[in-house]
Amino acid sequence: MQESIGLYGSAAVSGFADWLQGTSASGAIKSVSWIIPLIQSVHIVMIGVVFVSCLMIVLRVLGVMRTDEPVEAVWRRFAPWLWSALAVMAATGITLVVGEPEREFGTVSFWMKMLLVAIGVSGTALYGRSLKAAAVGAPAEFPVSVRAASILIVIVWLAVIFLGRAIAYDKQVWG
Amino acid sequence: MDFPSLIQSIEASAPAQWMRTSLAAMPVVEAIHVLAGATVFGTILIVDLRLLGFPDTRRPVTRVCSEMLRLTWIAFAVSLTAGALMFAANAHTYVGNTAFRLKMLALLGAGVNMALFHGITFRKVGAWDQNAPVPRAARIAGAASILLWVAVIFLARWIGFTKGYDFKIPPHTHIDFQF
Repeated sequence: MQESIGLYGSAAVSGFADWLQGTSASGAIKSVSWIIPLIQSVHIVMIGVVFVSCLMIVLRVLGVMRTDEPVEAVWRRFAPWLWSALAVMAATGITLVVGEPEREFGTVSFWMKMLLVAIGVSGTALYGRSLKAAAVGAPAEFPVSVRAASILIVIVWLAVIFLGRAIAYDKQVWG
Repeated sequence: MDFPSLIQSIEASAPAQWMRTSLAAMPVVEAIHVLAGATVFGTILIVDLRLLGFPDTRRPVTRVCSEMLRLTWIAFAVSLTAGALMFAANAHTYVGNTAFRLKMLALLGAGVNMALFHGITFRKVGAWDQNAPVPRAARIAGAASILLWVAVIFLARWIGFTKGYDFKIPPHTHIDFQF
């Protein structure tokens, strides 16, 4: 474990990483050299699906795209893709953590990413609900709060992607 | 100028030097590359799925193409710029890398597939633009595009794991690589 302070450097986290590292599951993931690149590749393909699905819904809400369809229809078209891809990302992400716990737990980027993933997932779910509520009266234009939330949610997912890559360069990015 | 000296001059260029010397340049540029690349893939996937008749054929192919491809080209330009910077920083390690070469081949394949589709199949799109079965040539183009772009992403990730030490490890040697 690298010398670090705060939650991600605490003895409990470090101990957990050591324990995880020693499990047979972790050993199995590391036993074949191409497993981790393969899982990372699937993880990246899926973030493309998650991000663009979210972008499509947001761009419709902002009136930039797919204005020939009601927001409800755009949500129904892309939400299942978004949630399914997120489930695959969770599965592949957990596999990567089990395979290389110290690589992940020892970085600021990882913990920031987890925080933003939690915000992104719950934010997207809430956003979907607010769209349904706002669509009841079928306003031509969504209220400022919904439009602001749209932009915010895209920024959260962008930050998640950035932090995912930053895990490999933690010290360079955060000093 | 021969090829090795071209590679050398790319590595000696100012952007390449900046990539190597600035601490945050590489991770930030790589993150932008992933982000833009994911957007290229996701937006193209929507067009490809429409060509495969998914989820249905109600939205006109022409409309799906025009609204998606604008986004795709912007993301592609960003991804290409970031990728070129990554390449320039360590050009000689990329040119000899098998995963990189295969990735370029897959990109070329995706480009040829797109050119054939737009140059031939798409010309008669009026006949199957909406509420009509998609012709086989277009369905094949869509499926090929998905496969090629997934291959591009996989090969791209493979570069990071193989570049720089593309050599045979002697037997009974343990090397601890830190990624």
